Amino acid sequence: MFKTILLAASADHACDNAAKSAFRLADLTNAHITVFHVLGMPAHGFSQEVIDVKTGEKVEASEEYISWVKEEIKIYYAKQFEKTKSFDIKIAVGMPYREILREIKNGRYDIVTLGGTSKEKISVYKKHMLGSTVLRVAKASPIPVMVLCRPSSSFLKNISSILFCADFSKESDAAFNFAANLAKFFNCNLDIFNVADISPVFSKNIIEQDEIDSQISAAYKKIEEKYIPHTKNIIKTVANVCEGIPYVEIVKYAREKNSSLIVIAHHNKENENFGSNMEQIIVRSASPVISINK
Amino acid sequence: MYSGKLCSKEPVKTKEQLQALLKDTRGKTYYKEMQNLEVDTDLLWKTIQTTLNSRIKTWLEICSRCGICAESCFLYLANDKDPTQIPSYKIQSTLGEIIKRKGDVDNAFMQTAMETTWGKCTCCNRCAMYCPNGIDTGVMFSYLRGLLYQQGFVPLEMKIGAGMHRIYYAQMDITDEDFIDTFEWIVEEYEKDYQGLKVPVDVKNADIMYTVNAREVKYYPEDLAYAAILFNLAQENWTVTSKGWEETSLAMFAGDWEACKIQVKHVYEAMERLKPKRMIGTECGHAHRATVIEGPYWMGRKDGKPPVESIHYVEWVAEALRTGKLKINPEKRIKTPVTIQDSCNYVRNGGLKDITREIISYIVEPGYFVEMEPCGENNFCCGGGGGFNGIGIYRNHRNKGLTVKRDQIIKTGAKLVLAPCHNCWDAIRDLEEEFKIGIKWSFLKPLLIDMVEIPESMKPAS
Repeated sequence: MFKTILLAASADHACDNAAKSAFRLADLTNAHITVFHVLGMPAHGFSQEVIDVKTGEKVEASEEYISWVKEEIKIYYAKQFEKTKSFDIKIAVGMPYREILREIKNGRYDIVTLGGTSKEKISVYKKHMLGSTVLRVAKASPIPVMVLCRPSSSFLKNISSILFCADFSKESDAAFNFAANLAKFFNCNLDIFNVADISPVFSKNIIEQDEIDSQISAAYKKIEEKYIPHTKNIIKTVANVCEGIPYVEIVKYAREKNSSLIVIAHHNKENENFGSNMEQIIVRSASPVISINK
Repeated sequence: MYSGKLCSKEPVKTKEQLQALLKDTRGKTYYKEMQNLEVDTDLLWKTIQTTLNSRIKTWLEICSRCGICAESCFLYLANDKDPTQIPSYKIQSTLGEIIKRKGDVDNAFMQTAMETTWGKCTCCNRCAMYCPNGIDTGVMFSYLRGLLYQQGFVPLEMKIGAGMHRIYYAQMDITDEDFIDTFEWIVEEYEKDYQGLKVPVDVKNADIMYTVNAREVKYYPEDLAYAAILFNLAQENWTVTSKGWEETSLAMFAGDWEACKIQVKHVYEAMERLKPKRMIGTECGHAHRATVIEGPYWMGRKDGKPPVESIHYVEWVAEALRTGKLKINPEKRIKTPVTIQDSCNYVRNGGLKDITREIISYIVEPGYFVEMEPCGENNFCCGGGGGFNGIGIYRNHRNKGLTVKRDQIIKTGAKLVLAPCHNCWDAIRDLEEEFKIGIKWSFLKPLLIDMVEIPESMKPAS
């Protein structure tokens, strides 16, 4: 399923959860892992001075410094590397999100894993927002993007169920195919879940219960027609629809079902700012979230 | 005659030489070798005799050392009115002295001249506007750069930059394939946001051939996507060229006259091959100067013009807004105190002051735009022009120079500085990093992207 995993990380605590999930995935799939660290934007012209994104310090991006950073990464992830089939470490200079995307494009990766934010000391408000790197990578990545902000318990044990969040878009169909393949590969359950969005209620737009019921029925029908026929080789597939605020219901559902992974579509036109469902699921979920955009 | 492995009179000709220079952290070996570099005085004098034109000769002779140029120089002002920063002193004590001595100068003299040339003058040409005799010290320093380059007395980064142009026809190690590949994949990222978005490559007889700055390809590829989006929104018949796409010229900053010609020839060949109606260069000041203003003379073009009409990006933006090709959503206009940094290369030396103000009239809510003092043709250099931004050994000189721009910006009360020029953008970014005055800075493209109306046909499919 995964031959090569790209872990975009800064070798610090902010990336620990994401790193654990990446190494766990590598372990489960016997994949090669590439740890990718971006030093930051260079100063002007051909100066080798860069602002290190991890330390915020001005440093010389010389061969010597890069070797030192590689060594530091090797030490930081030493325990994980011991158990990994094979690994390598790559260092780049530039805007982190751009260089990650460039690496994705130039490499042969099956999935990229990132932490939520590179800042260790962040405000409460910021804790509910994803870093711009994750948002931008998720928006443009041609491969699945796995993000984990909070400590995960379920994923680190066994992959027992995959939660696929359906919204019936083209991107969502691609996300379903990926989720179904995951469920087959890990020989685990697949939960297909849709939420009838009632968030307009909070702006005093009352929605009739009949309308909600009819949305729920329609969603069940779509799941039945679109997805269920493709779940033959999956141990157990369960479809569920409820009404509510999508991200809240999805996080609750994942917790109740002890989902190992959440798979969700990312829409390019989706608002990148605070408030998007995908962003909220990522920052709140205790399960790694895999975003699929095409 | 001594020749170092890294520092020599020879220009960079191979990728290996480039790599060796790039690996030399802070130019430790390069500048150490420079200590032993011998001046080929015969060659220097011979070159002067064959290249020194009557204009420069006259300027040097008629300069009366009146000192009126002093306060026109931002580096003089930034350095507590140090008399050695007076433009006339700087040029007379370097180029003037070399000529007086008929080229008989030594290593120490050339190193001082190098520092004066790249560390005390950005060739912004502001002094020429105030000299009662119209003497342009910037032009003379550009000439002196050529003499110093020929002798190997050139800052490391300038040597590398010129070498890049000789090898890659670009200021950075970006191949033609990298350029097209990057442009195509970055645009692909935006395809869903803007229906029908594409990058036409090598289309003959297009209305516009767009040229860029290699830094955009290397570090800011969004800029390429924004250009594509805006051309598509304006429904322009445009193209990029797979060869000759780089408009900038660090060779010009380095004084590598041969590389200047190599670079601009490459761009002109693309114009002749694709025969566009117009060439539009990105938001870069020196690129415009190199390719549109000086390039024709380097190439010996008798009409003093590039092969096709060539304009700066701001001219296209103003035209697109004026003609309604791009429409601004009035609600999205800038409603924060904003000022603009006038690029020396296309405002003072290219006369585009009014064009940039016209753009401002469309994109800034009335009452929010504040002019710097002075502004337009009289504005000071951003503080990082002429290669100053990129030279490590003169970083302290540059940072000191930035204080003039810092104080100008603070005085406006602006929170946003428009900087439609790569050098200005970089200098203002560094200024904020260095002095933390709480401003933002931006090219025009990202601002326009946020405020232009999208035609129904290009809106994302629901």
